[in-house]
Amino acid sequence: MSDKPTIWRALDRKAMAVAEFTLRQQRKRLSTWVVMGVGFVAMAVLTMFYIDSMMREYEAIDNDGDSRDFDMDGYPNGQENLYGTDILDPESHPGLLNPPVAPDDPSKWINEDGFDIDSLSEGSYGYDDDGDCRTEDKTDSQQDTNNNNIPCDVQIYAESYSNNFRINGDNEVDEDPDEDAYAKESIHRAFVLALGKFGFVFLIGIFVPLFMATGLIRDEMSSGTMHYMLSKPIARSEVFLYRILGFLGLAWPYMTGMVVLAALVTGFFGPSEGFFRFGDLGVWMAILLASLLSLLVYAMLFCLLGVLWKHGIILALPFAAWELGMILTTLGAPDAAILRFSVIGWAMNIVDAGAALTWTDTSLLVALGLWAGGNTLGGSEPLTGSLALEIFASDSGLGMTPLVTIVVSVCVMLVQAATFWFIGGALFKSKEID
Amino acid sequence: MPDPTQEGKGQTKEWKPDVDMPVVYFQGVSKSYGRIHAVSNITLGLSGGVTGILGMNGAGKSTLFKLLMGKLKPSAGEIRLFGTDPWKNPAPYAKVGFVPEHEKMHDWMTALDFVSTFARLHGMTRDQANTEAARVLDFVGLSDVANKQIGKFSKGMRQRAKIAHALVNDPELIILDEPLQGCDPLARTTVMNVIRELGKMGRTVLVSSHILNEIERITEQIIILHQGKLVALGNLHAIRERLDEIPHTIRIVGKDARSLAKDILEHPAVFGLSFPSETELLIQTYHFGSLHAELPGLIVNNGHEVTLIDNPDDDLESLLGHLTGGGA
Repeated sequence: MSDKPTIWRALDRKAMAVAEFTLRQQRKRLSTWVVMGVGFVAMAVLTMFYIDSMMREYEAIDNDGDSRDFDMDGYPNGQENLYGTDILDPESHPGLLNPPVAPDDPSKWINEDGFDIDSLSEGSYGYDDDGDCRTEDKTDSQQDTNNNNIPCDVQIYAESYSNNFRINGDNEVDEDPDEDAYAKESIHRAFVLALGKFGFVFLIGIFVPLFMATGLIRDEMSSGTMHYMLSKPIARSEVFLYRILGFLGLAWPYMTGMVVLAALVTGFFGPSEGFFRFGDLGVWMAILLASLLSLLVYAMLFCLLGVLWKHGIILALPFAAWELGMILTTLGAPDAAILRFSVIGWAMNIVDAGAALTWTDTSLLVALGLWAGGNTLGGSEPLTGSLALEIFASDSGLGMTPLVTIVVSVCVMLVQAATFWFIGGALFKSKEID
Repeated sequence: MPDPTQEGKGQTKEWKPDVDMPVVYFQGVSKSYGRIHAVSNITLGLSGGVTGILGMNGAGKSTLFKLLMGKLKPSAGEIRLFGTDPWKNPAPYAKVGFVPEHEKMHDWMTALDFVSTFARLHGMTRDQANTEAARVLDFVGLSDVANKQIGKFSKGMRQRAKIAHALVNDPELIILDEPLQGCDPLARTTVMNVIRELGKMGRTVLVSSHILNEIERITEQIIILHQGKLVALGNLHAIRERLDEIPHTIRIVGKDARSLAKDILEHPAVFGLSFPSETELLIQTYHFGSLHAELPGLIVNNGHEVTLIDNPDDDLESLLGHLTGGGA
């Protein structure tokens, strides 16, 4: 037992006492459990939708239309292309060849060659498995319509000015992504990002502090019980900080528990070759980090607003609306300068940078879904899940590498928290307490 | 560095009380809210002993305490607590115990929790705080119910829990805002004994009340506030003496008021009698002190049956009336 008198020891005792007191006080309140329960139910309902979409089968669609039979001669277009007969002439079909060829079941031409979506990057992919591109009657240039000097392939180009990809396939080369696998993978990623961004960082991150932190100082000031705490040799800005610590003592484990639960559920239900998707853990860590920081910053801010005015929650609501506007902005324009004046913009940077580190091929996955197999016949429809993933995945807006983005954003959020603490403490110090 | 086990002794950079200043020092202090003067131009220095602060509701007693505890900022003047300005620096509270007037407490805590939690704000470790809390709860007579929730306490027990929480740091100055309000007679006696005990221990104690004979039973040193102004300061008897020339009324209720009146009229101090009812007698006197002392003998010696002797004038209101020239 050391007897060294340090500033730390004394501070620490008071900090522990106030934080512990606050934590126990919150624990005894019914409203605390109502707020947390509602948060849990909301997240659980969202997760149900996710589980449902993972359990479903996604029907294969004919991306290039070669299962159709334009001339109604019983032979699908793809089969006619393969044997070089005319797809528009009912009198020309492989059945008239010698030896005659029996017509294929059209379903054979729906899901053609799988496109391996697990390892994608720039380059030339695919092989014309069904042979309808490599037919002998085609010239070299007909076999290489994408002009990459490789006949019958799909070329993926990375655009130099952005993170986006362009996909260009030779005619009749299908390299058709498996709709079911694609939908599950992209819905999974879109859901993880949506739940992380809107569920944890935004909804829980704002509303739990809104209901629980706004009154941390104000409630005690109004009821008169603050006198007990302020009649002790403790500075008011210390009380402010330690009350927040007490709040976080409850809110942080709550958030961590929910994020871990969500990570487990999506890990088990998400598409993977093993029993669990360990590959997502990086994204979940980023979501956890961003949501814990947003709890901290919003708690400081809302507690400050509570000190400022006895109806601080009224001041907090327009702020929550502002943050909603900002989180929507991050989806479309993650590099908008106005996002620097929000809390959520920085938190989103962390999530997006974490996602960029973990899922390096997300933008390619989106491009692939929108390309949808390079439909050359009939209308092209994006694959299920690609639009959702396009909405919820964004680049982190700082234009730095993901790791630097995370470090910078964490620092900015800590500075925001410290600033709100400083202002809140100063305001509290200047308040007369009746 | 952080010390989660809370071992070892800790104290922040030492704050030193100013020994040349009185414990409590007000110099020309005023506090006003717009046009309303809650406290005006109070100059006061106090060190040691029990001092009663008397005043009607709204006289400025609580405001005075809140100014002293740094809850309110004075509009004018200077306040020093152990030589330090309490609005700017909370350090002197290490030597102060404050019992606020507010009824509201942390009802969900047990008395022991309540006292020890706030003891830790004085920089005590968890163990020290528990030991000290048990000690002060015993001192105020709550050790039997230390582990009961404050929400289930009677008013008197709540007051005593508040007093215990204020005593846990062994303060040199104890401030009690209306500690007897709402106490039943038993609790009242306990609280009064506690306050007297503290006075005997050489602590500076400030007690406020709006009931004169409550304060009278605790201390003789009083301060009278009226409409935010300090109207009298000093020994209660000395203040009374000055008022002795002023007519007082004594009310007696007994079986036969008329025969009692005959005996009482013989006393030289009596100058008037009236009979509001069959059994009631009102006596007018200029020498309240001497008559009040002799009255019981007079009644017993003449064999009268009396159920009540009351001094309707001897309350704060009439005292204030006389002190302020009939304006109360």
